[in-house]
Amino acid sequence: MNRPLLTILSALVLAAAIFGASYWTGQRGCLMCHAQSTDNLTWLRDEFHLSDAEMARIRELHEGYMPKCMEYCAAIAEKKAELQSALAGTTNVTPQAQAKLAELAQLRAQCQANMLQHFMTVSQAMPPAEGRRYLAEMQRLTLGFHEELEQSMASMTNMPSARQ
Amino acid sequence: MNPEDQKLSSLLRQSKPAPSLPPRFAEHVWRRIEHTPERSATWLDTLAAMILRPRIAWATATVLLISGLLLGVYQGNQTARQADLGRYLASVAPSAVR
Repeated sequence: MNRPLLTILSALVLAAAIFGASYWTGQRGCLMCHAQSTDNLTWLRDEFHLSDAEMARIRELHEGYMPKCMEYCAAIAEKKAELQSALAGTTNVTPQAQAKLAELAQLRAQCQANMLQHFMTVSQAMPPAEGRRYLAEMQRLTLGFHEELEQSMASMTNMPSARQ
Repeated sequence: MNPEDQKLSSLLRQSKPAPSLPPRFAEHVWRRIEHTPERSATWLDTLAAMILRPRIAWATATVLLISGLLLGVYQGNQTARQADLGRYLASVAPSAVR
């Protein structure tokens, strides 16, 4: 290998090492700073530029919502266990299993309605534009997941999706 | 060794004539050196020479360091933002109803 080529290759390796080391340092430093925060509402404050007063109000709403959310979680988990018991050892969907499925679906629907109501209440505690953006984003992240799943399944089977 | 042989060797060394240089020998040598065609520098030579210049090397290293840091901080912010979003979502929208 001639000398100029060796010089250039060595310079490239050194440049990559400098860039890589500084990139890694910057990234790790930033992550370590953020890791110190354990507040579940950090994203809200940073993403929607909320004031201290708005954050206090939203935190109050969040803490009021959490017990109801946990109740629904417990009820759904219990209903799922009942459904699994109803389905265990059978080769058909028995009337009992059908009833459990219906109850589980109803519980989930109630939970979703409760969740969406919470999102709307929180959005009203924000400045109007940020509130609309929050609501749209939360609906996309929660309800939109199922739409994407259905569309991907419809495209795989070439059937129209439920949305169309 | 026979002393006569030693005498003979010495005599032979003395009689061996040292060649004399032609006139203006040094001048001719320098002229040949001056007229020897230089190897033309390739783009690799030019690039390598440029890289080895201290100012360019330090400036490049500084730019790489700063841009790497900035990009790392930006990427770290994005990752942290995604983690914060995930934490909020997990608290208000359990996977059972998403």
